[in-house]
Amino acid sequence: MIAKVRRLPRFFGAWVGLTLWLLLMLLLALYPYTGVSSLTLFVGSQVFVLVTLASNWNLIGGLTGYVDFGHAVFFGIGAYVMGILVTHLPLLISPEWSFWQALPISGVAAAVFALLIGLPTLRLKGPYFSIAMLGTFVVTREIVRVLRPLTGGGSGLSLPPILNRLGDYYLMLGVMGLVVAIIWWIHRSEFGQSLIAIREDEIGAEMRGINTTLHKIVAFMIAAFFTGIVGGFWAWQNTVIDPDVVFIEARTVEMVMMSMLGGLGTVWGPPLGAVIIYFLQDVVWGNLFGVHLLVLGVLLVLLALFLPEGILGALEDRSSTSIGRLLGRVTSRGRN
Amino acid sequence: MRQIILLFSLLLVASLVLTACPGPPAPVDAPDTAADSARTDADAEKIIYIGGAVSETGKYAREGQDTRQGYGVWLDWVNNEYGGIKIANHRYKVELVMYDDEGDPDTTARLVERLINEDRVDFLLGPYSSTLTQSASAIAEKYGKIMIEGNGAAETLFERGFQNLFAVLTPAGNYTQSALQMLAAKGAKTVVIAYEDTAFPTSVAEGAQRWAAEYGLELLGVETYPKDVADVSGIISKFKRLEADVFIGGGHFNDAVLFIRAAKELDFNPKAMVITVGPSNPKLVAEVGVDAEYIIGPTQWEASMNYADEYFGSASDYAARYREMWDESPTYQAAESTATALALHLAIEEANSLDTDAVREALRNLDVVTFYGPIDFDETGKNASKPMGAIQIQGGEILVVAPGNAAVADLLYPAPAWKDR
Repeated sequence: MIAKVRRLPRFFGAWVGLTLWLLLMLLLALYPYTGVSSLTLFVGSQVFVLVTLASNWNLIGGLTGYVDFGHAVFFGIGAYVMGILVTHLPLLISPEWSFWQALPISGVAAAVFALLIGLPTLRLKGPYFSIAMLGTFVVTREIVRVLRPLTGGGSGLSLPPILNRLGDYYLMLGVMGLVVAIIWWIHRSEFGQSLIAIREDEIGAEMRGINTTLHKIVAFMIAAFFTGIVGGFWAWQNTVIDPDVVFIEARTVEMVMMSMLGGLGTVWGPPLGAVIIYFLQDVVWGNLFGVHLLVLGVLLVLLALFLPEGILGALEDRSSTSIGRLLGRVTSRGRN
Repeated sequence: MRQIILLFSLLLVASLVLTACPGPPAPVDAPDTAADSARTDADAEKIIYIGGAVSETGKYAREGQDTRQGYGVWLDWVNNEYGGIKIANHRYKVELVMYDDEGDPDTTARLVERLINEDRVDFLLGPYSSTLTQSASAIAEKYGKIMIEGNGAAETLFERGFQNLFAVLTPAGNYTQSALQMLAAKGAKTVVIAYEDTAFPTSVAEGAQRWAAEYGLELLGVETYPKDVADVSGIISKFKRLEADVFIGGGHFNDAVLFIRAAKELDFNPKAMVITVGPSNPKLVAEVGVDAEYIIGPTQWEASMNYADEYFGSASDYAARYREMWDESPTYQAAESTATALALHLAIEEANSLDTDAVREALRNLDVVTFYGPIDFDETGKNASKPMGAIQIQGGEILVVAPGNAAVADLLYPAPAWKDR
C-alpha cells in the first residue's frame, strides 16, 4: 500500500520554518528586556556563535557533500584579519569603530581565501578534499606563525579589551538569524537543489547542465564569509589571539559533530545540534564532574551508532535508524 | 525571485521593528541570593568570597592542580590556623569559589563572568598559563575587579594598561637575569639563544638578549623553533660552529630533554647551558640522568631558598606544610599560588576594608618579604622587585646558586666537555 502523503497547505508549508525562525529571533531579541545577567547574555552569544558555525559548515559539508575538515581555517583568517587591522592600522574615530570597520573585512578576506583555495581543492572528490582542507588548515597556521611582524608570531596579538556583552548578544543574534535564513532560502532555491544534485551525483549534475564548479565555489565562499565574520567577532571578544587558540582542530570537529547530531544537510539540524551539544557539555560538566569527558564521549559514540543521520534525519526517515525503526514499530502496533 | 523579495522584505521588516524598539536595559546582574544573605546578615559569620577558574582538566591539568593546591594551602591556613582575615576588629572567614576552565579561553571567559556577576566574589585569583590569564584579566578589568595571579608571566599581560591585574611572580623578561649576571662575572663572553615560538618563551628570550647586552655578553646567534618540536639537532649543529660560551634555550620540559640529548650526541660543548623550563623539575634528572649535571635553570622559587615570613615560616617550613597537606613536594607553581593569595590577604588587612579601590591602593603600596620572596608591585602590576633564582644540577641535586642571599651552593663554571665527564 502506498503511504498517504500528508501535506500542509502549500504556502504555509513552505514558509512555516522561516516564520517560526523569525518569531524565535524576535523572542530572543526581546529576551534582554526581561532583565537578564551579563552571564546569560554571554552564554547566549556563545551559543549563537556555535549555531552559526555549524550552519555554515553544513552548507558545504552537509548540503554540497564536501566534508571540510579544515573549515576552522576561515575562522582563523577572520580572527587574524580583525587582530591585524585593529592593532596595526590607525584607529578611526574610536576603537569600537575600528571593530565595525574590520568585521566585514574579516568576512571578505575569508571568502576571498575560500575562492583561492576552493579553485584547486574543490576539484578533489571525497576524502581527498577533506585531507586537502586539513592540510590548508595546518599550513595556514604555520604561515601565521612565521609572519611575525604582522601576526605577532607565536606570541599572538592583544586587542583592546573593550567588552560589551549586550552588543555581542545582538550582533551574534543578527548574524545567526541571517545565516540560518539564508541557508533556509538556499535549501529551497534552484541553487540549493543544484548543490544537492552535486552531492548525490556530481557527474550526473554536470551532464544536466549545472555549472558544478561555480555552484561549489559560491557555496564555499558563503560558508567561509560568515565563518570569517564569526572569527573576527571571536578575536574581539576574547581580546587576545595566538595560533594555538585560534587555529585549533577541535573547532572543526565541533562543527562536524553538531551538524551530524542535528542532521547533515538539513536546515534546522545543525542549529539544534549546536544547542544540544553546548548545553549537554555544560550539564554533564556541572553534574558529573570528573567523569564528564568520559560520559560525553560515550554519549557521542551512542549517537553515532544509533542516530547516524542525526536527530532530524531520524525523524524524517524512521527506517534508516534503529531508534527510528523502534519508534515506527511502537506506533504501527497501535494502529493494527 | 518573488521568494527572494519576500524573504528580504520580511528580514527588513524584522530589523526595522527591532531598531524602532527602545534600547534594552543594561544587563541586570542580580547578586547570588545565598551569598547575599550571608553578607547582609550582620550577626552571622563574616565571609570574604574569592573566586578563581583554574584548569582541572585539559592541557594544563597538571599545572592547574599545583595552582589549586597552592591556593588550598593558604585557604586552609587562613581559616583554620590564622583565624580569618582581620578587618576592623572582625575576623573574616574565606570562601573560595573554584571552577574548572578546561584550558579553554571560552570557558575561562564564561566562568570569570559567572564569578563576578553571579557568585559576586569580592576578589579574583588567576588561572594557570599566560594565555588564559590574558582572557580572564580583560574581563576582570571590564568590571573593575581585582585579579591577582601567580601563573601568567608573559610580558604582554602587563603592557595593556590594566589597573586591576597584579602578579607576584617574576615576569618572563627577567627569567635569565641572575644566571647571566653570574656567568658574566665568572668570565663568560658570548651567548647563543634558541627558543620556542610562543608567548612565554619569546618574552624570556627577548629578556635574555636585553640582559646579555646589559652584562656585556656578545650575542652570536638566535634561533626559534615551533611548538612541540621533535628534533633540535639542526639548531645545535649550527650553534656548535659558533663556539659560544653560554647556551640559552627552551620553552617546555620536553625541549630541555631534547637539547641535552642533542648537545651530547653532537658534542656541543658550551661552558654553560641555561635551559628555561625543566632543570628545576626533579623529573629532568630522572629522565636524562648524569647528563643533567652542570645544567643551569631559572627558578621562581625553591624550598631551599632562605626567604621567610611570619605567616608560613621559612621556604622549607612551607614545603613541609605543603607535603603534609598534599602528600607531594611543592612545585614553584604551587608556591607562587600560595604567595598570590597571601599577597591579597595582606593587602586586604592593610586596606582594612573590602573596598576594591582601597585594596588596589594597598596592593600598589605593598612591600613585603614572604616565604616566596619579596613582593612589591610596580605601576603595571608586575612584581619587579623579586629577583629570579637560578639553580644548577650538581651531583643529581637541584641546588640554588643565585641570587646570593638565597643561594646554597656555588655555580660550577665552566662545565667540562662531554667527553671529559
